[in-house]
Amino acid sequence: MPTLKIDEKEVTVPPGTTLIRAAKELGIEIPYYCWHPGLSVAGNCRMCLVEVDKMPKPQISCHIQCQDGMVVRTQSETVKKLREHVLEFLLVNHPLDCPVCDQAGECGLQDYYMKHGLYDSRLNENKVKKGQKAVPIGPTVMLDNERCILCSRCVRFTDEISKSHEFGIFNRGDHSEIGLYPGEELNNKYSGNVVDICPVGALTDRDFRFKCRVWYLKKTESICPGCARGCNITIETSHDRPTGVENERVMRLKPRFNDEVNDWWICDSGRYGYHSIDQNRILTPLVREGTAAAKESNWKDALKQACVSFQNLMAQNKEQIAILLSPMMTNEEIYLAHKLFVETLQLSRVLLLGVHPNGDQDDLLIRSDKHPNRMGAEWLGLIEGKEVTQKLVSEIEKGLIQGLFLFGQDIVSQFQSERLNGALNQMRLSLFIGSNYNQTVSSARMILPGASYAEKDGTFTNFEGRVQRIRKALFPLGESRSELEIIQSFAAQLGLDLPSQTSEDIFLELAGSVPKFRGMTYDTIGHEGVRPA
Amino acid sequence: MIKTKVVSEPPLNFWERIYLPEVFRGLWITSKHFFRNFFLHLAHAFGLLRHLKAGVTIEYPEQTYILPKRSRTRHRLTHRPDGSPRCVACMMCETVCPARCIAIVAEEHPDPNIEKKPKSFDIDLGKCVFCGFCVEACPEDAIRMDTKIVNTAAYSRPAMKLDLNELLNPTSSS
Amino acid sequence: MMTTFVIQAILSLVMFGFVFNLAALHTWIERKQSALMQDRVGANRAWITLPWKWAAPINWLLRPFNVLGLFHPIADAIKMFTKEDFIPPKADRLLHTLAPCLSLFFSLIVFAAIPFGDTIEIGGHVIRLQVANLNAALLYVFGAASLGVYGIALAGFSSHNNYATLGGLRAVSQMLSYEIAMGLTVIGIVLIYGSLDLQELVRRQGAYLWGWIPMWGAILQPVGFLLFLAAGIAETKRIPYDAPEGESEIIGYFVEYSGMKFGMFFFTDYLETILIACLATTLFLGGWQVPYLASSGFLFPWGSHIALSAFSVSLFQIASFVLKVLFFCWLFMTIRWTLPRFRYDQLLKLGWQYLFPIALVNLLVTAAIFLWWVR
Repeated sequence: MPTLKIDEKEVTVPPGTTLIRAAKELGIEIPYYCWHPGLSVAGNCRMCLVEVDKMPKPQISCHIQCQDGMVVRTQSETVKKLREHVLEFLLVNHPLDCPVCDQAGECGLQDYYMKHGLYDSRLNENKVKKGQKAVPIGPTVMLDNERCILCSRCVRFTDEISKSHEFGIFNRGDHSEIGLYPGEELNNKYSGNVVDICPVGALTDRDFRFKCRVWYLKKTESICPGCARGCNITIETSHDRPTGVENERVMRLKPRFNDEVNDWWICDSGRYGYHSIDQNRILTPLVREGTAAAKESNWKDALKQACVSFQNLMAQNKEQIAILLSPMMTNEEIYLAHKLFVETLQLSRVLLLGVHPNGDQDDLLIRSDKHPNRMGAEWLGLIEGKEVTQKLVSEIEKGLIQGLFLFGQDIVSQFQSERLNGALNQMRLSLFIGSNYNQTVSSARMILPGASYAEKDGTFTNFEGRVQRIRKALFPLGESRSELEIIQSFAAQLGLDLPSQTSEDIFLELAGSVPKFRGMTYDTIGHEGVRPA
Repeated sequence: MIKTKVVSEPPLNFWERIYLPEVFRGLWITSKHFFRNFFLHLAHAFGLLRHLKAGVTIEYPEQTYILPKRSRTRHRLTHRPDGSPRCVACMMCETVCPARCIAIVAEEHPDPNIEKKPKSFDIDLGKCVFCGFCVEACPEDAIRMDTKIVNTAAYSRPAMKLDLNELLNPTSSS
Repeated sequence: MMTTFVIQAILSLVMFGFVFNLAALHTWIERKQSALMQDRVGANRAWITLPWKWAAPINWLLRPFNVLGLFHPIADAIKMFTKEDFIPPKADRLLHTLAPCLSLFFSLIVFAAIPFGDTIEIGGHVIRLQVANLNAALLYVFGAASLGVYGIALAGFSSHNNYATLGGLRAVSQMLSYEIAMGLTVIGIVLIYGSLDLQELVRRQGAYLWGWIPMWGAILQPVGFLLFLAAGIAETKRIPYDAPEGESEIIGYFVEYSGMKFGMFFFTDYLETILIACLATTLFLGGWQVPYLASSGFLFPWGSHIALSAFSVSLFQIASFVLKVLFFCWLFMTIRWTLPRFRYDQLLKLGWQYLFPIALVNLLVTAAIFLWWVR
């Protein structure tokens, strides 16, 4: 275990640790461009130079390993001068097009110039212009070679993480530039990550292009609901000013570092899967008579009507009512629905049904189960069984089920059944609670608009059993309400004494009664999530 | 370092403190103006003493004040030689605006060397405080406040809004 | 009986006509006088011009009114009457409507007791130029004027608005404080002239000190006069005593009023100004008295005599009263446009720690001198 001194502070680190990591541990900030904690060391940006005693020249701290008795200075005059000069050198060919650059505001060059540069330009020569500006190099990424500082992070990402090997550095000296190998296109499943790791504006996001300046974004930590992995994300929203896309509040999603789940990365389908938050949304309660188009209603009337039919069915025969919960729901919602329908109303047919088609899977992040909370539902006692589901569907088709509650499942498109379509239409009460339009919505008798995952608080349990928080980034769109609220107001309409609780209250109650969640609170879950003890 | 000057208020003497003489002094000054102007207005009515002014008022629609050269007036957007806006929709002005009266939406420019241009550029004069920060912040000299248009009043809030077209071709009737 | 009634009706019409018109004109005076004092031109944009060719002579006649901005009061009235009359949703609708009416009512009825001339004889009827001849008119005046406070307190209270309530409280405490000082100064006058009847007070001010100085209140009670003016302006709630209103920033009791209800409060302000002017005239400047004018004409102390008919004497007296009132209106307006507002603590301090004790001392000294004099 080498012990060394950085800026007069002593630290002991495991052997093989690089200086930059040791400094990070001490809270000493060393600037860097090419180094990335998730990638191999390249050592070509020279920004992280530090002075090490008994070494004749300054050393790059990202590469040099800690040795016992090292004395390192990161704040000496020499180091400061060096940083200034390295920065000046990196900026020699960098165009000053910050006004049109989407990276502006979160750009490494801007940040470090303000922190470590602040020199007066001495450049009299013309800048060497490299390549074309704004070249789309794939469905998601735009390349601008002029802005590139050749840190090679993107090259290393495609070599080491996505292993798709699209990028390379071509030509020499002033003319070297990054580019794709001939015939390649940057279209791997993780292509969006090169935008995140690019420290400058050379690689920018085509989806986010010119939509909004980054400093207008409000950031909320959340969890990607795209698959059972539960990648940590930041939802970045802008809702008080016009943006490039009309009526969209979510501007982009960014991965959030969590070394237990997704490290720094996220897949493209998760990154660009946010459009459902603002588009194709159900905005008001809808009521349908027969096969006609659904009519807009209001919460009061819709809840009343649902309640009356529900109570009639209850009085007749409880067995003709089925409640389908979904692994898209948060733990709190599943718990509350379970409490209402199973414990209070004593219904026997409360089932879990995840109807999205199972998809591909890889070794990095993507899971075949496209539901964020199947594990949580299982912990709460709801396990999906193929035979049970099939039996229920055939019963629905035969008209044996007269009351059906669907929490977001698009069963019509899942089972591709005309008869199911008609059955939903003929049912006494087929209630769909969800946020977006789909085929089931166009045949259900009643539709209550639910909130999207960005509009509510709650927890998801990923496939490894890690309980993670989603946070409310936006208010529910239109008249939609969170599912918790819907369940609570439905219970109130039934005249049941279900206290109106926040999701945090419900989670505390849940943690008290479900063994797997024991001892968890929103505070202990925190930013990174927690696994059961 | 900000220079500060400490001003000590002179202590009031007895007559100032009992206030009444000061009241009379004030009344004396205002009455002097009153009677002087009263007399001059009367005289003007009979065509006398025209060279002595009774009021400094500029009666606006008929008389107009000659604006100083650098006074900030209604905004305009400058053009490129081909007539398109110089603005690249960097939103510096929108960011610096203390009144939040500017709203810009950007879009792709067909020329990749320009890259970005405003799709819409709205200034709400109802909110604008004419501070001129937008002009200071602009890196492209694309916005200026030198139209010398001051009659920005309108009968409705929507009419106080300037769009891209209006900003590129300022007309005096807003 | 009928004639008495008709005469009374005519008298009240004359008085109210005078007061109302003067109050309406006050909006014009306010604008124009402030303009003159501040080297401005003042409001002159409410023009009435007839569009037809044949109306040219009428337009020529209207021109001076237009140029002087004399139609602005009319424009104001039109604006006040046509604006939305808003009652805040949580306000007490009855009290909210009642408050301005109370204010206006109490400030108007006071004028009934103000004598604007001596008696006049027309067709065998001896007419007193006073709407209501009360033998305790002074008490009536003070009583009615004090009741005006209810309108203000109710306005502040019924608006269901903290700012209005605070403004109302400020107004009430200010008016109560200054009424005491004002009442004390007036007692000095009552002491000297020995009457509560305003007409009688004015008559007694027609006497002469040492045969040539008119025995007006201001001459016998100079300190009282100043105190009365100071307290009187405070009663009108106008600058420098406008802490209850403070339209420009602190907001007063009528913040939730609009349209003509606000107009009524505004009007009340002007009426109170005129009222204080009338009272100051009556109590301290000899009311309708003209120096050396007796019922038969001018009788100068050096012996010369100008004979006048009884009717023209009455005209002189009425003119004298009007001129004095106008003088006070001008003075109040000048003060209003000269002095800055008192801070609220300064205002109460002035009322209780200065005006009140000085008025008390003034009263004691007056009483002492009066006793000694009479002995």
